[in-house]
Amino acid sequence: MDEMTRSVRTAAVRVDGLSRRYGATRALDEVDLTLERGITGLLGPNGAGKTTLLSILATVSEPDAGRVLVFGLDPREAAERVEIRRRLGYLPQELGYHRHFTVAGFLDYVAILKEITGRRRRAEEVARVLAAIGLERRARTRIRALSGGMRQRLGIAQALLGQPDLLILDEPTAGLDPEQRLRFRELLSDLPGDPVIVLSTHQADDIAAICPQVVVLLQGRLHFAGTPSDLAATAAGRVWAADQRETRAHLSWRGGDSRWRHIGDHPPAGAELVTPTVEDGYLLLSHASGAR
Amino acid sequence: MTNSSPGAAGPVAGADGHPGEDLLASYAAGTAGTVTVWSVEAHLTGCARCRSALSAHVDAERLAHNRSVLLVRAAIGDGSRVRRVLRRCGLPDHVLGLLAATPSLRRSWLLSVMGVLAVVAGEAAAVRYGWITAGSPGIIHGYPGQNLAPFLLVGPLLVLAGVAAAFLPMFDPACRLAAAAPFSGFALLLARSVSALTAALVPVAAAAFLLPGPGWLPVALLLPSLALSAFALAAATVLPPRAAAVTAGALWAVPVLLLAATHVPLVIVQWHAQSACAAVLIASAVVLFLRRDRFELGWMR
Amino acid sequence: MRPEAGERDDAALLRAVARGDEDALTALYDRHAGWLTVRLTRRCAMPDVVDHAVQDTFLAVWREAGAYRGGGDVAAFIWGIGVRRLIDAIRRDNGSRWRLPWRAAEPEAVVSAEDQVLVGIEHGRLGQALAELSPELRGAIEATVLDGLTCAEAAVLLGVAEGTVKSRCHRARVALRAALAEQQAGPDTKAHRREAWGTS
Repeated sequence: MDEMTRSVRTAAVRVDGLSRRYGATRALDEVDLTLERGITGLLGPNGAGKTTLLSILATVSEPDAGRVLVFGLDPREAAERVEIRRRLGYLPQELGYHRHFTVAGFLDYVAILKEITGRRRRAEEVARVLAAIGLERRARTRIRALSGGMRQRLGIAQALLGQPDLLILDEPTAGLDPEQRLRFRELLSDLPGDPVIVLSTHQADDIAAICPQVVVLLQGRLHFAGTPSDLAATAAGRVWAADQRETRAHLSWRGGDSRWRHIGDHPPAGAELVTPTVEDGYLLLSHASGAR
Repeated sequence: MTNSSPGAAGPVAGADGHPGEDLLASYAAGTAGTVTVWSVEAHLTGCARCRSALSAHVDAERLAHNRSVLLVRAAIGDGSRVRRVLRRCGLPDHVLGLLAATPSLRRSWLLSVMGVLAVVAGEAAAVRYGWITAGSPGIIHGYPGQNLAPFLLVGPLLVLAGVAAAFLPMFDPACRLAAAAPFSGFALLLARSVSALTAALVPVAAAAFLLPGPGWLPVALLLPSLALSAFALAAATVLPPRAAAVTAGALWAVPVLLLAATHVPLVIVQWHAQSACAAVLIASAVVLFLRRDRFELGWMR
Repeated sequence: MRPEAGERDDAALLRAVARGDEDALTALYDRHAGWLTVRLTRRCAMPDVVDHAVQDTFLAVWREAGAYRGGGDVAAFIWGIGVRRLIDAIRRDNGSRWRLPWRAAEPEAVVSAEDQVLVGIEHGRLGQALAELSPELRGAIEATVLDGLTCAEAAVLLGVAEGTVKSRCHRARVALRAALAEQQAGPDTKAHRREAWGTS
């Protein structure tokens, strides 16, 4: 059995030829993907299809074509779909909550939806996730009185209820300040049970900081799957710095050191090549795909 | 059977009067003899210092865990009075928790329903007793039942609105979370719809009872309300949810308005109209049951 | 004991809890949960059940703090709630209901004579008489007299029928009277009295 077959066999989540369109727009176009235990980042600009892909994985939407297998279970079968949902934690892009809910009340509600029926068991689970995201002192606060960052942490907390094996987080770092992102990264790496985690973002530095695996989605198609350093390496030899702006580069911008940074296929001879970052690789890819 | 342990003779009050560390430790560990334990416990009841000394012998993590669960339970609370009563009656608490989030079961909604009913019923009574004259030209003033037309229109629509609020995604901000959760979407929908139905029927029936009109009016409105709600739910398995609710509303409003305009508003209390409602109810229930899987998939687009 | 300066005393905390002050509840918990846990463990050895009882106790305090009329010790108030919550928790627990076996048969842990003297409760003759009871009779006395439970509640705690509790209490009282009288009379009547106790 060769390496690829073995890895496909043991993949926790498998996506084959997934397609979905909304009217005339192709949100997803023949996406093939495997996800392993550990954190995978889904990188792409807004409108690239990340939310669609994540909502299909979360069994909230149906694809038009293609197959999904989560832990060997097929969401098209009703009984298997419920079983997937039992092992799932999902943070949608827009966290909806009823206006009158307090933090603890909302988590209790989601815990009921996750079939944790005993009041005491629910309270223990809620206490556990509140401690994990550091909102214990806010248990009685109404959600509408929370800041954006706290609401985001609350969203992560509800996804953690029930210790899911598959954690799907749509833009979890939006609204978090750098210190909170650090704690978020620690939180994800400390989760019990080594779940499959997939999170989406449009910021490359989140990927570099948090995810050992990254997948790049552009205009509904998969353009890269691998490690962040591999993604950075795709731009090797194509990133250079200069004091002046150069027009032949695909992309140019002023860096933090007030020198111009350029990405292009043909750097001028004698150009000062710099080590590419994950973002450079991503920008090169998205330029090549015509996304920008 | 004599306990020959040294402490059984009875300790005498000492100068300080407090048990020492060793004694507290053995009490905490459960190795102290009975009479010593009683002495210690009697002392603890009055001595805060020894109580806190004893706390040091309990696993701090265990205390912290119990405290966090306690605070969460205090934060979640017991729910409203209605919920406490229903829980005592035997309804499972987790279902009550899910119902508590239904907009049409909240006080504000129910108050609005009662407000609308008051207006409509008030107008019906006013026309009936001749306090005001019926509005539009062409309607014969004093025609039996004419005054009830607005009420007949509004009553079942209020019930439908309550049920619609139970299943329309726009009324459930957490619907995406519910869709991704294992709890059966259909069971949730049914529980909410039935509760909303009951909660709305009570004021409507009460208003119908109080209105001057045929005595069987409350009962006559029961079947149409049920049929409308069932139809809306069944239609939601075929149409998008909002379209289903609007269609159901129109299917009631249009005939009622037509009948009112042609001066036969009280058709609804007649046998054939009631049978038609019953037929719609049964057909809708069957369709709803057969297509219930639609509520399990993420059916909001 | 006087509380430290700046800290509220228990009654003040309880009043604050009645007003909905969650920090006061936390403070009350920090002060009282430790000894409550130990004391409840003494009556029921299952740690899960004790944990539930402790949580339920402070929840009840949270809800019913207004019922405390200010008379009597707050610790006694909490214990009264606690032991009843323990009974409820034992009733709810589906597994086997067992508690710590009476340790009278085992030698007492070696505690210095000084500590024994310092506990400061005059037991004297009563203490000796109690120590001479069999474990089952002592348990019945502890539950009904010390903990103030009804016979029905004591039955749940001890894991026996209510009638058994009543008969044990009766036999314990008989034995205590006999033991106390004999102490007055002198040790030579002990052997004669022991028959009256019978087996439990």
